[in-house]
Amino acid sequence: MKHFLLRIEPVIWLLFGQGLLIGTMLLTGWILVVGLAAPLGLVDAAALSFDRAHALASNIVGRLVLAALIVLPLWKGAHHMRHLSIDFRGADRDVVVAPVLYAVATIGSLLGILAVVRL
Amino acid sequence: MAGPAHPDAMAPSKPGKTRTAPPQMPASWWSHPRIRTYLAFDATGIVYLLLGLVALRVVWALGAGPEVWDATIASLSNPLYILFHVIGLVSVLFVGVRFFGFFPKAQPPRIGPAKPPPQPVILAGLYAAWLGVTLLFAAILGGWIF
Repeated sequence: MKHFLLRIEPVIWLLFGQGLLIGTMLLTGWILVVGLAAPLGLVDAAALSFDRAHALASNIVGRLVLAALIVLPLWKGAHHMRHLSIDFRGADRDVVVAPVLYAVATIGSLLGILAVVRL
Repeated sequence: MAGPAHPDAMAPSKPGKTRTAPPQMPASWWSHPRIRTYLAFDATGIVYLLLGLVALRVVWALGAGPEVWDATIASLSNPLYILFHVIGLVSVLFVGVRFFGFFPKAQPPRIGPAKPPPQPVILAGLYAAWLGVTLLFAAILGGWIF
């Protein structure tokens, strides 16, 4: 398993790095509007009505942006949580922790892609 | 910081016979501000993973029809969700400032035939992109454009 984890490290790092870069850029606006402004009533409710949201999301650009918004933060999260575990004297348990976290990110990514495909 | 550290600053001049142990966090890690900041940066991973899952829930609801969508959007008004998104915003800003701060320092001296631009230019570009993407994405989501 250790060997396998080292073999896939470049792919993990690519997704992790894009989670930091693209994930952070997309999440800022997403949290500001969908997470905070809309629930607090600072945004016209029509902006996030089903019809408008579906029209914005279901074209190719919308699908790609939403897929990135779901997938990339999952990998940034999984990889950073793995290293948090290692830093707290978890080098030995890494052979279990890393596969579990990457499995969560993989399943979440597949569901995320399915979620934008079925829009 | 007086300047960028030499990349081999931590390496021995030639490989010695001394065996080295893997780096370990000191037991008194909590009293070291740099370790605290480093661990806080790692810990934002928990928030990012949850933010990704919440985004998955919201987009999944959009594919499930108007009733599920309306219920999901309404559920985001729950105070726990608001609190989570406040923590999420703080995490994202912290990650952005820290990551974009060391991104220019991590560039290779040359990429193929080209040299990367000076560090302040890369940093300014990253902040401009962050601000631009955030304003554009927020304006679209909030219904101010399109």
